[in-house]
Amino acid sequence: MEVTVIGGYLGAGKTTLVNHLLSQATEVIAVLINDFGEINIDDKLVDSVDENTITLTNGCICCSLADGYSKALDDVAKRNPRPTRLVIEASGVADPAAVAAYGHAPGMALNAVAVVADGVNLIEQLADPLVGQTVRSQLAAADLILLNKQDLVSETETLRAELEKFNGDALMVECIHSQIDLDLLFGSEVNKAPKAFGVTGEYESRSHTSMQPIPRDALVELIELLPTQVQRAKGIVRVAEDPHIPMVFQLVGRRWELRALADRKNAPEGNQLVVIGPKGTVPPDWDRTLNAED
Amino acid sequence: MIPLSSGSSSQTATLAEEVEMCKLFAARVSLGNSPRGPSEPGRECLGSLPCRLIQRLCSRVDARTIKLVSMTDAPTQIFTAKKVHTMDPNEPFATAVAVQGDRIVGVGHRDDFLHFPQAEVDERFGEKVLLPGFVEAHSHVMSGALWEFPYVGFYERTDPKGQVWSGCQDVDSVLQRLTQCDQEMVDPDQTLVAWGLDPIFLQGERLVAKHLDQVSTKRPIFVFHASGHLATVNSEMMRQSGIDQHTPTPGVAKDDSGTPNGELQEPAAMSLARDGLATIGIAMMSSEAKWNYALEARNCGVTTAADLGTTRLAMEGQLEAWRQTTDHPEYPIRVVVAFGHFDSDGTPANIRDMAAKAAHLREHEESEKLRFGIVKLVLDGSIQGFTARISHPHYLDPPPGHPGNGLWLIPPEQMPDIVSAYHQAGLTVHCHCNGDEAAQVFIDAVDAALQTHPREDHRHTVQHCQLTTEQQYKKMSQLGMNANIFANHIFYWGDQHATITVGRQRAEKMDGCATAEREGVKFSIHSDAPITPMGQLHTVWCAVNRLTASGDILGPDERIGIHKALQACTIDAAHQLLMDNEIGSLENGKLADFTVLDNDPYEVEPEELKNIQVWGTVVGGVPFQAGSE
Repeated sequence: MEVTVIGGYLGAGKTTLVNHLLSQATEVIAVLINDFGEINIDDKLVDSVDENTITLTNGCICCSLADGYSKALDDVAKRNPRPTRLVIEASGVADPAAVAAYGHAPGMALNAVAVVADGVNLIEQLADPLVGQTVRSQLAAADLILLNKQDLVSETETLRAELEKFNGDALMVECIHSQIDLDLLFGSEVNKAPKAFGVTGEYESRSHTSMQPIPRDALVELIELLPTQVQRAKGIVRVAEDPHIPMVFQLVGRRWELRALADRKNAPEGNQLVVIGPKGTVPPDWDRTLNAED
Repeated sequence: MIPLSSGSSSQTATLAEEVEMCKLFAARVSLGNSPRGPSEPGRECLGSLPCRLIQRLCSRVDARTIKLVSMTDAPTQIFTAKKVHTMDPNEPFATAVAVQGDRIVGVGHRDDFLHFPQAEVDERFGEKVLLPGFVEAHSHVMSGALWEFPYVGFYERTDPKGQVWSGCQDVDSVLQRLTQCDQEMVDPDQTLVAWGLDPIFLQGERLVAKHLDQVSTKRPIFVFHASGHLATVNSEMMRQSGIDQHTPTPGVAKDDSGTPNGELQEPAAMSLARDGLATIGIAMMSSEAKWNYALEARNCGVTTAADLGTTRLAMEGQLEAWRQTTDHPEYPIRVVVAFGHFDSDGTPANIRDMAAKAAHLREHEESEKLRFGIVKLVLDGSIQGFTARISHPHYLDPPPGHPGNGLWLIPPEQMPDIVSAYHQAGLTVHCHCNGDEAAQVFIDAVDAALQTHPREDHRHTVQHCQLTTEQQYKKMSQLGMNANIFANHIFYWGDQHATITVGRQRAEKMDGCATAEREGVKFSIHSDAPITPMGQLHTVWCAVNRLTASGDILGPDERIGIHKALQACTIDAAHQLLMDNEIGSLENGKLADFTVLDNDPYEVEPEELKNIQVWGTVVGGVPFQAGSE
């Protein structure tokens, strides 16, 4: 189960993001949240509600964290069908890095830490003597920053410059009402064959499939040659140095990682990679270093 | 309960009727105000006006008359003592207390009461000293849960059965104790859970898995640290929990070769260990924990303790569990179970809902030994953990990577709404504020709540108050707030505060009881058990002497006198728990709750206060001897 942590200070738009991804989900997502009472899902999508869990007609569930992380994680693991993806909404003052530590529990893998920034109040919050450090620590822990409330903000560049000061590596995505392309947030659905080329909203994606294990150096080169605007990639690869272990490759912002896939039984054969970037930024031959080795 | 709160006739009562009513209830109500109830008009009338009348009446009416009003034909127990300190300024000393049922009907001398109905003189305390039962206004029932497991801490500690556990002052003595426990366990597969380890105090190599493997390589071991933030486990626990060099969880400490060394830092890492934290969690809900908590309290002379936010009252079954335990006639303490705000999701509707639940508990679910009315908030972390919110210049020597200041556990912007919701529901908010920045946010929230909803006698209390400043105490005094000061810190961590956390200048003002006294803030002092051992005489000793573990006097100007310190553990602690109309001093009509001591704390040298032997307690007229089963 892949784990995505959503952080961000009070009022940034975390719950709006949860509402958004639950209604847009194309896979079974379990969401753990603090503000259970704030969840506002279209009645047509709600299947049942009990004290601590909302079940949606699309199979997704939303669970309260009132009984703590361990209990909620246990409950999710026991669900049938088992969710393929877990999203944890951290509280408004929590350090998302600490919450992300739960994403490494057995049977889980951390996808990314996404932090929602309140575009309207961010500069003020960062300067606030009481909460400035809390907000800064949260943003510093992010792999992906949602620069939210763009409809109300005119100085996006100032915001970006401010954020660069303490997190130059994160992928920054501008959005309104926390509406983010889920492929950007989740990378893509691991274990599903990607489309060769696709466009959603402001973004386009291109994919690569091949069978031969890829030398580690070729992957590194691939990342280095990607245009700077392309800051999201994800997939499963066989690395030539240890070809028997399917590895998850992912790039968020300027950070990337290779880790062993937890669920090896259902891993697809060969390599499947998807990159996502703003429209017109992903070159058709983005994967040329991989093909050279093929 | 006090019948005053159920009478509704007074709203239309004439003054004469009120005077009559007051005479009737005078013997059962303290001279303080009755704070139990929101400040709606009806309550106001019942709460404050009659009490003012009582005060006036009592200055005129012959005391004997009042006593007779409350007399029944029930048998009278006359407890004699070498000396009784009553904490009643009008009659501070006595040598006998007369009790009918669970109430005091006379405070004076043996011969005053011999004519009382079926008077029987009980001389078992003839050579002892009686005080009003000690009130521990900040502790946790978790303290009782931990005693289900062996203790391996640095300082000597006494368990609820009265057995003294010597301190484990080096790694070897920790291992010796664990080996002994391992051998005593019947089920070879059962996890050995222990608690209280504090590596700060242990010399030499840090205790890790390879040491614990000397105890057992077959049985999983989980040693919970005193801080509550760490645990150390053995190799078998790691094997069974799948913790190995591939475990990516931050907080799983690894050696140079990448192998986990057995130390698990913070909850995410600790929860990887198969059944360590969960075992402690289950123990916390148990009836044994509630009993252990009470026995530990009894052993140090405590008759009322506040479980300040361990119990999750919103959770099914917890209220009933407390009710069942406290209703037992042998249960030796009264417990104020605070309503934890942690169960709230922070939304305004939810907070209002929580406030209504908490108010319902107070109005409908109280019994003789189970009380409510307090809401517990936690705003920041701890000073020794570098997570308390403290003002500039923040921490003196924080660990590498420290962000500069502590953590907020509630967003400060939410505090005014949260405090206001509970305030409006007539509840009393007790807010954990170790750092001064946290205290300021809470004080401001109370100020704002009072501006929009003026309410007399709310008794909102700053808990811990470790760095609360003189200016803050001034403001608290103006607002009618209370303080509960973590005096024990001076002994247990005072040396570290002076040299590592905040530096000497600030440390000398920490836990400033004298400042609170000077600024006219009613305050209590506490142990925060299990963070430090419960023991009011030790806490009094700390406040009076301010001696650190190394023998340094830290901040001599903040020392207080013995009488003030004892008030802080009796009448003033009762005040902030809304129970001063029933306990906290020995007066007619109050509950017969006493602390029984071998020596008089007013007569021993201040340094000897903590060494006074506690015989035990009397709760509701029933003696409970320390150390008994």
